Amino acid sequence: MTRAFTIAACLGLALLPQALPAQTPSEASSGASATASTGLVGNPENGRTLAFTCQGCHGVRGYRNVYPHYHVPLIGGQSEAYLVNALREYRQGTRKHPTMQSQAQSFSDQDIADLAAFLSGLKK
Amino acid sequence: MTDMTRISRLALALSGALLLAACGGGSHEGEAAGEAARRSSSAGLPEGRVAEGEQLAQTKGQATGQSCIDCHGPDGNEPLDPTYPRIGGQYADYLAHALLKYRDGDREHALMSQQAAGLSDQQIADLAAYFASRPGQLRDLEGVQ
Repeated sequence: MTRAFTIAACLGLALLPQALPAQTPSEASSGASATASTGLVGNPENGRTLAFTCQGCHGVRGYRNVYPHYHVPLIGGQSEAYLVNALREYRQGTRKHPTMQSQAQSFSDQDIADLAAFLSGLKK
Repeated sequence: MTDMTRISRLALALSGALLLAACGGGSHEGEAAGEAARRSSSAGLPEGRVAEGEQLAQTKGQATGQSCIDCHGPDGNEPLDPTYPRIGGQYADYLAHALLKYRDGDREHALMSQQAAGLSDQQIADLAAYFASRPGQLRDLEGVQ
């Protein structure tokens, strides 16, 4: 019986992070001009403002996705063009993640370029 | 013996049997819980092995003729193309998740879909463990203003 309680306790602990409410970052504010063209030059300062909304998940050290259960990726210092593609794919729905698809919906191409310029420039 | 007593005894016997069954199964469940705790992600992957991952990271994929480090660079930190991500020091469970998505067709990339197609769960866990173990330039956004 003790064992059964131990197992139950372990399971409870394992499930605890998932029981925490998912953080929904506030909607991104956008002062940047939206254009449909590609190859935009990102403005890292505007990206800094937009990136406030990323903090809810990517700014919490060791934060894990609720389901499937894995760490949200480290995105500071990531390749700029990779970040642009990732956000566009989330916006199009060709890359799937409920929170990220929802986030990306609010971003214009210029917003995405700005965010990528800011995030890729972060140093460890 | 009254009917009520008979029913009570029957209920007692039944609950005893259930209790035994629950305890009997307990040890097996305990092992399963321990096993789950060692896994690198919720995807049910086996534990990743860094040394095996290092070897595999340098092995050319059949479909692409490229190895991981051919494109992502040594330690996964010097991508050959600006659209390729840095993967050195990235979380192992995230890397494993990405590879699983590519393998299962839930995420697409001209090279990565082919590269991941032939990987076993163990190989994905090994690669993820290896690149996560490398020093990297990636960081989270904690404290970023």
